[in-house]
Amino acid sequence: MTTVVLLELAVLLLVAGAVVSLALARSLRAAGWTAVAAVGASGLLVWIVVVRTLSSGPDPEATLASIPSIGAALTVHVDALSAVFLATVATIAFLCTLFSVEYMTRFTADGVAKYYPVLQLLIAGIVGVVATSDFFFFLVFWEVMTLTSFFLVIYEGGSPVCQKAGLKYFVVNQGAALAMLAAGLILWRVSGSFHFGALRDALGQLLETRPAVAHLALLLLFLGFATKAGILPMGSWLPDAYPAAPGGAAAFFGGAMTKLGVYGLLRAFLVFLPLSGATVVWGWVIAAAGLGSLFVGTLMALKQDDVKRLMSFHAIGQMGYMFLAIGFGMVLLATDPFLAALGLLGGIFHVLNNALYKSGLFLTAAAVEYRTGERSLAALPGGLGAYMAVTAGCAVVASLAIAGVPPLNGFSSKWLIYATGILGAKESTLLPVATLAAMFISLVTLASFLKYLGGTFLGVPRKNDPPREVSVSMQLPQIVLALACLAFGLFPAVPLGFVHQAVASLPSASGVPALGALLGDGSGLGVARAGVEMAIWAPLPVAAVLVLLGLFCYRGIQRAGDAPIREVQVWTCGEEVRPEEYRYPPGSFYRPFKEAFSGIYPKAAWRPPPFPVPLRRILDPDAWLYLPLVRGVERAARGVSRTHVGVPQVYLLWMVVGVVAVVAILLLAGS
Amino acid sequence: MLTAALAMVIVLPVLGAVSTRFLAPRGVRGTAVAASLAAALMACWAVWAGWATLGVGNRAALFDMAWLPGTSGSGLFGVLLDPLAAVLLLVVTVIGFLTVLYSTSYLREGNRDHAVGPEGQARYYFWLLAFMASMAGVALAPNFLQLFVFWELTTVCSWALISYYRSEKSLRAGFKALLMTHSGGIFFLLAILILFAKTGSFDFDAPSRLDGSLRFWVYGFLMVAAWAKAAQLPFHTWLPDAMEAPTPISAYLHAASMVKAGVFLMARAVSGGWAMPPELGALLAVMALVTVLVALSFYFVQDDLKRLLAYSTIAHLGYVLLGVAMGAMGSQVGFQGGVLHILCHGFGKATLFMCAGAVAYATGTRSISALSGLAKTMPLTAAAFFVGVLAVTGIPPFSCFWSKFMILAGAMRVPGPLGPTILVLLLAESLVAFGWMLHVGQKVFFGAPTEAALMAKDPPGTMKWTLVALMAGSLLVPLVGIPLVHMIGG
Repeated sequence: MTTVVLLELAVLLLVAGAVVSLALARSLRAAGWTAVAAVGASGLLVWIVVVRTLSSGPDPEATLASIPSIGAALTVHVDALSAVFLATVATIAFLCTLFSVEYMTRFTADGVAKYYPVLQLLIAGIVGVVATSDFFFFLVFWEVMTLTSFFLVIYEGGSPVCQKAGLKYFVVNQGAALAMLAAGLILWRVSGSFHFGALRDALGQLLETRPAVAHLALLLLFLGFATKAGILPMGSWLPDAYPAAPGGAAAFFGGAMTKLGVYGLLRAFLVFLPLSGATVVWGWVIAAAGLGSLFVGTLMALKQDDVKRLMSFHAIGQMGYMFLAIGFGMVLLATDPFLAALGLLGGIFHVLNNALYKSGLFLTAAAVEYRTGERSLAALPGGLGAYMAVTAGCAVVASLAIAGVPPLNGFSSKWLIYATGILGAKESTLLPVATLAAMFISLVTLASFLKYLGGTFLGVPRKNDPPREVSVSMQLPQIVLALACLAFGLFPAVPLGFVHQAVASLPSASGVPALGALLGDGSGLGVARAGVEMAIWAPLPVAAVLVLLGLFCYRGIQRAGDAPIREVQVWTCGEEVRPEEYRYPPGSFYRPFKEAFSGIYPKAAWRPPPFPVPLRRILDPDAWLYLPLVRGVERAARGVSRTHVGVPQVYLLWMVVGVVAVVAILLLAGS
Repeated sequence: MLTAALAMVIVLPVLGAVSTRFLAPRGVRGTAVAASLAAALMACWAVWAGWATLGVGNRAALFDMAWLPGTSGSGLFGVLLDPLAAVLLLVVTVIGFLTVLYSTSYLREGNRDHAVGPEGQARYYFWLLAFMASMAGVALAPNFLQLFVFWELTTVCSWALISYYRSEKSLRAGFKALLMTHSGGIFFLLAILILFAKTGSFDFDAPSRLDGSLRFWVYGFLMVAAWAKAAQLPFHTWLPDAMEAPTPISAYLHAASMVKAGVFLMARAVSGGWAMPPELGALLAVMALVTVLVALSFYFVQDDLKRLLAYSTIAHLGYVLLGVAMGAMGSQVGFQGGVLHILCHGFGKATLFMCAGAVAYATGTRSISALSGLAKTMPLTAAAFFVGVLAVTGIPPFSCFWSKFMILAGAMRVPGPLGPTILVLLLAESLVAFGWMLHVGQKVFFGAPTEAALMAKDPPGTMKWTLVALMAGSLLVPLVGIPLVHMIGG
């Protein structure tokens, strides 16, 4: 079967799954398992496409439908870049759906009729976004994605917070989509077609003939994709919208959907935009936007109390890393393809890694919410680690991964990004400066996740009515994601091989060196140029040393001290204090930070100006034109009718007057 | 064969209308069933006729009549079915049928908004079917003369239907609609008088045979007529007042069909010989743009759900006229998009009106501020309303996206700075209108349920099925519409 048939089947399965789960919606679990089956089966088909594309190259493009009058055609073409994103989406979608089966049993009142069907349509929409090679249908699928995810955001429609978040989400993203649509139309005016290749030609042509228009189109595309990716300030919808969605959906948003902003960015700036001076300019813009977002987003995360909101701000911050890396890559692409390739590899690899740990983190938060009903760190009892060991373990792995602690996957992609920035110093000193800022933010990330881990899982366990660990179907996705974080960290070369194919498939980056020349052939990463080793990352030995060191500390120190392990109450100087009272609350973490950065993301209050009253009056012609006119006619009619008095003498008089008048006129006309 | 079928599309509802008069004494049920049957048959015929148009193009059957000496050109009366006619015919008959169906449940004692007893219902169906026949006549008219005759018939029927409740307000509203649309009709009459005097023909391409300034005037007069009928600036004031009509009537006349007659006239005039002066086209486009924006500015002060929808209709008729104007300025895609918008908007807006009707039926109010949390008790209506909002504001894959996109693409083909201006303003309008409609939808259907909302129920029987059919239509009509409009001018 060809790519297009497989994808059609996958989408068909998802739509069928949506219909069946809608029909079964009365039973929360039956609908859930139906969705799992449909998403799983379609995920399998997508994975077949991915494996075939990455192993034996992309299938030729297929056209399913076309609208000739506007030069749009529904074409399906899965190249290596699409394949990498398809794999991510299919995997995360399956895990999130599996997680949802038990999780959604919380919502007995709301039901799942508005959850599983919408979720499956969303996944189908995303498959469409990634698989098409026509910008018009790209936009159509893009909007399907926005539309369906909106209904997931307002799932708990009853609360005003939820409604407001949903409205903001949809309107902002619709604005972004319209910006992209305008950009598409600008290019279409030149090309007459929406095919990616035609748009590339059109943009190249415009850059030469009318550079201002070309840059306008690029700006619109940038705004569109950056908004979806949550880049600040356009992305301020994100921390409102994601927490509002149910846990499984939020994990899918954070892990997979946001990433499509990066996909679109790569398409726009490395496929539509031919390699030119504009690439460098926009590279700087993208890197700057990324830097700003990772800085502000992560610092904002530090002071959050709502767990899901905290993670949403991290989603923004992490997106900043990807933008920074891709920006680095674009800046260097023309002058130093070697370093540019490192940057692009780092950026796209970070997408994959982020998908793993970010959805993992959202799932752990959802698991905690499922058992305790709480998302607020201040209200969480703490000490859950004792009862929910699996969730806690997964949360630790994912937290360390997002903070870039070696040997987990977050480190390997960040390592690539940092290597690009530091080695790029000879191009511009701004690169290492930005890199330093990004490194600092890694620390902030770690700090804010210590807050999450500390406030949720550590501390004195509550004795009465302790929560239980979540069910296996909720544990499994978390475990898979945590293990994947570890695997991608220990063996980064394997996924990087696929990512390299994706980078090489981008027309503007087709000149990048082969993977072996970039990073060596070993299981680790080694950047060597002209035989000189410039940077090495060997995860396996480092991990081994870390494990040994850890064991030594744990065992060795204990044995050396020869201290027996005792279980005792915390000594509170003899006073009677309940554990809650001496617990260091998460809200007090980093208070100085909070105060120092209180205004880092100012809230602007904007009120629309009142509609000018005179204009309002002019726009109501009833009042000053039609009604007076009608009244005038009415009055005139009444005037005429006043002559009808019903007295015969008066009518006779009129007749006499009339005759006199006629005779007078005749006489006058005769003379 | 086709001709006979087409003629039947006009004759059948007339027969239905007459039969309602005779069936009236036997009770409401019979009247309603007869009306529905007539409408259903008409819709089937029309759909078949539309299908037959695909791939074939124009079909006409004309008959001459020894009436006016000096007529040249093709016959005086007859039917013409081309892609443009097929588009309007589909809207008129399919939504017409759904309206009749909806009305059979809506006109009941149990209607909390406006209880309707059995008396007077025959009058309702009579005028409704008569209106459908006149609209079909407008769609199938082969020349300006016949178009004018049926055009005025729709005005008369609309007067009767708006005033159906016979309250003081509805009588006034009906009279106002009659006056304003008929004043526009006088300009139409003027235009065809000039046309006949100078060319001896009423054909749609006759204006192209006129010389410079006269052609200018003829198109100008037709434009004024279209503005009045389609409630465009400065004649927009009758449409919001006409919301006094029963809701199915508002859905049908003031969203799907009668106001579309105005834009249809312009589409006919422009595509007749593609001879409209481009300057007039630019004027039409600018006025349409102004109308779109002015109508938008009225959204925010509306509390009556139906009035909000009325202003939205005014804006969307502006969209259609904008597309048509682009045709006059040489942008084929824009014209096709405008015509497609007739179909797409018809279904989307009818869905919204029918939802407003269902809400009023169940709660007794249409005030946005008094409604909240209806989704819990009226899930189907809520779903339909959101589908309607998404369809009308042009979110893919729903209907109006496809037509709006073609209009936007058409704008890019308009030479000079006007094209990009149109693009930017339309995009801004789309976003603001979308945001507001979504906000209203959330306000009415989500949030804490009011007491009335807790008592409310999804509408009964045929109303429910109408909503389902319209939802499907809001998603699927572009599949029919796009191939049809591609045949125009190609």
